[in-house]
Amino acid sequence: MQRVRAVFEKTGRSKYISHLDLNRCMLRTFRRSGLPIWYTEGFNPHPYYAFALALSLGFESRCEIMDFNITDDDMSMDEIRDRLNAVMPEGMGIVSVALQQKKVTAITHADYSFVLETPAPEKLKADIDRLLAAKEIPIEKKTKKGIKTVDIKPDMQVLGCDTAKNGVVMSLRLPAGTQTNYNPTLFFEALKNSGAETFEPAKIMRTAILCEDGTDFV
Amino acid sequence: MQLKDKIEKHLLEVQKPSRYIGGEVGSVIKDKSKVDVRFAFCFPDTYDIGMSHLGMKILYSLTNERENYWCERCYAPGEDFEAVMRENGIPLYALESLDPIKDFDFIGFTMQYELSYTNVLNMLDLAGIPIFSKDRTDELTQIVVAGGPCVCNPEPLADFFDIFILGEGEEVNLELMDLYWEMKQQGASRLDFLRRASQIEGIYVPRFYEFTYKEDGTIAGVTASDNAPETVRKRIIMDMDKVYYPENFVVPFTEIVHDRVSVEVLRGCIRGCRFCQAGFIYRPFREKHTDTICRETRCLCENTGYDEVSLASLSTSDHSEIDPMLTQLIEYTAKERINLSLPSLRVDNFSESLLEKIKKVRKSGLTFAAEGGTQRLRDVINKNVTEEEIMSTCRIAFQGGYSAVKLYFMMGLPTETDEDIVGIAELAQRIVDLFYSIEDRPKGKGVQVSVSCATFVPKPFTPFQFEPQDTREMIEHKQKLLLDSVKTKKVKVAYHDPNVSQLEVILAKGDRRLCKAIYTAWQKGCKFDSWEEHYRFDKWLEAFAECGIDPAFYANRRFGYDEILPWDHLDYLVSKEFLIRENKTAHESRTTPNCRQRCSGCGVNKKVGRECFAESKSSI
Repeated sequence: MQRVRAVFEKTGRSKYISHLDLNRCMLRTFRRSGLPIWYTEGFNPHPYYAFALALSLGFESRCEIMDFNITDDDMSMDEIRDRLNAVMPEGMGIVSVALQQKKVTAITHADYSFVLETPAPEKLKADIDRLLAAKEIPIEKKTKKGIKTVDIKPDMQVLGCDTAKNGVVMSLRLPAGTQTNYNPTLFFEALKNSGAETFEPAKIMRTAILCEDGTDFV
Repeated sequence: MQLKDKIEKHLLEVQKPSRYIGGEVGSVIKDKSKVDVRFAFCFPDTYDIGMSHLGMKILYSLTNERENYWCERCYAPGEDFEAVMRENGIPLYALESLDPIKDFDFIGFTMQYELSYTNVLNMLDLAGIPIFSKDRTDELTQIVVAGGPCVCNPEPLADFFDIFILGEGEEVNLELMDLYWEMKQQGASRLDFLRRASQIEGIYVPRFYEFTYKEDGTIAGVTASDNAPETVRKRIIMDMDKVYYPENFVVPFTEIVHDRVSVEVLRGCIRGCRFCQAGFIYRPFREKHTDTICRETRCLCENTGYDEVSLASLSTSDHSEIDPMLTQLIEYTAKERINLSLPSLRVDNFSESLLEKIKKVRKSGLTFAAEGGTQRLRDVINKNVTEEEIMSTCRIAFQGGYSAVKLYFMMGLPTETDEDIVGIAELAQRIVDLFYSIEDRPKGKGVQVSVSCATFVPKPFTPFQFEPQDTREMIEHKQKLLLDSVKTKKVKVAYHDPNVSQLEVILAKGDRRLCKAIYTAWQKGCKFDSWEEHYRFDKWLEAFAECGIDPAFYANRRFGYDEILPWDHLDYLVSKEFLIRENKTAHESRTTPNCRQRCSGCGVNKKVGRECFAESKSSI
């Protein structure tokens, strides 16, 4: 049995597939592909596959991770990739397939890019700079125990922030994985609460899933 | 801004957005510059319901097989998305191209239930298409058509549609589109096209028919104009093994009501239950062979990736090859880890070997449609099921490990008395008693008998088309009586809102004068009438009053045998004489044997020129 890890993209219209629906969607994709995927051996056997990180509804991604097992030891990674790609829904595709190396717990960060659309990009950029310069960026985060205030500033890394014709183009590195997970919407919220120029987040895309040392998780 | 961008700008504000953006596996995309005729196939309910409809899947794929025709899907938006659409000027659009359906050549609705009528008006309005047929352009475009079971009495919808398509659409839909394309190239007008279309068998153009009424409100006569035929006969497909069946379905992302492969095994029904419209309007009985069914199952499962398949028909166990068919199917589905579900099994031919087979594939509850609480009443409705059969089936099921049974009944059936209602509770009690009398019953579990009671709705083209419906007071009395007659918690009773059933019968048996009332009700905000949370009976009553309609005239009046009925000029192959004969037999509490046992002379075989069972190996 081969333990396989696929990196897939989820772009265009497929960003409207919710995480729950993605499960069903992949089940059918595997069935259409006819790949010899390993089934669990419990009372109700079902094909085993798992996603490393959930992606919010409406976000695109170039780097989603899905693990599964192939019972045929001789099957090449290229064949697995091609057979899946032949039956994937529009907007979704396998970027690469390889044997699993790292554990999913190795994931620590994820990068996101997005546009904050506004008629006044310069003004918004100035507001963003002001927020980023502040001592802390407190936001209210819902947890299982209720609402608590956290400061996202220490965990947030701005990789880029530039004005464009229709708004401000940004990329952020945020904690991700089994320990702490920050969604870029937390930053949007903090920016809104800071009294910034009005904006609409658009084209949100996860661009990388990373390990502690900053290398891609694959 | 492109319509797609406009839609996407607001899509994340609504529930289950993947319903509104297309892109599903199996959806058909064409280059519109190379397409001659565009057909928007509309289902007047939400995506989750409409996507489950088999007829639409068949006609969608069939039309798209033709390179120069493009059929796309369109559903009623949910309340939240409708608000977004109206607020932002997004017209109703089709899911493949995301183009507004008002620019299409055909806008086709499938009319599956009466309570979806207001949704048609709402969808036309959302699309920006004139709601009344008379208000549409003289040009040859935007032809609004309807098919499906409800168009066997299309009169309450007559003012809204240009064309009704009667019967099965596999052939006639393409004939209609061919004629359209031919005439479009010639620069013909809408009226020219409708005149020519009315000459095609199965095509009913309501504007060419005029109704006159007597003083008592009944119909005096129907006159055809513009050379349209006096009666319009429905279309049928003769050979079920050669008829087109899709090799692929559109596979939704979000969960829909029937989220599985569906394979049609037969059309029509041999039973002749007198309340059942499907049992008459889909005649004659025609089967697919086992090989065809298995081939289609395999093909659809492979192409869609579904891991569940269900067999579709009015009564699957009436298939003459049911045992070999299931053996062959289960061999495939078990190997491929596919669940097989078998709805529509009958109580009386539910054999032990059949139960063994379905036990391999599912372990959910069992459902029986007993329909009537006493033998006398079951004879009246020709539900040829005896209590012994119900009991022996329950015994087999209990011994086979089942402990939950669901029973369907109707309330307000012709000749029904309080005794028949009490009979429902008594029958349920005897099933409970039976469970505890069985030595090898499932251990550690109590029995659960669910009784579900619908209100009887008399429907056109059934022997009960003449019957009045019980008034609300009568139904409420019977519901209370039933509740009072149930003595144990092991029997659970559920029933329908009689107000909903009353609207259903009015729309089912109504005539052209109802069009105005439907329009008025929609203007008052009625839509999604089949959804409890949207149903506004008070608004409907207001609409009837404003339009001078007496609901009781349609709902609670017996229609005479010699009366001209609103659907008498439509020919669904079963003769009116037969329906009258069956109605009389019902009132004598006598049954009619099923079509395999003896031909009951409904007239279908004479009209199609073929005996129903002459070629069948299994005819008894």
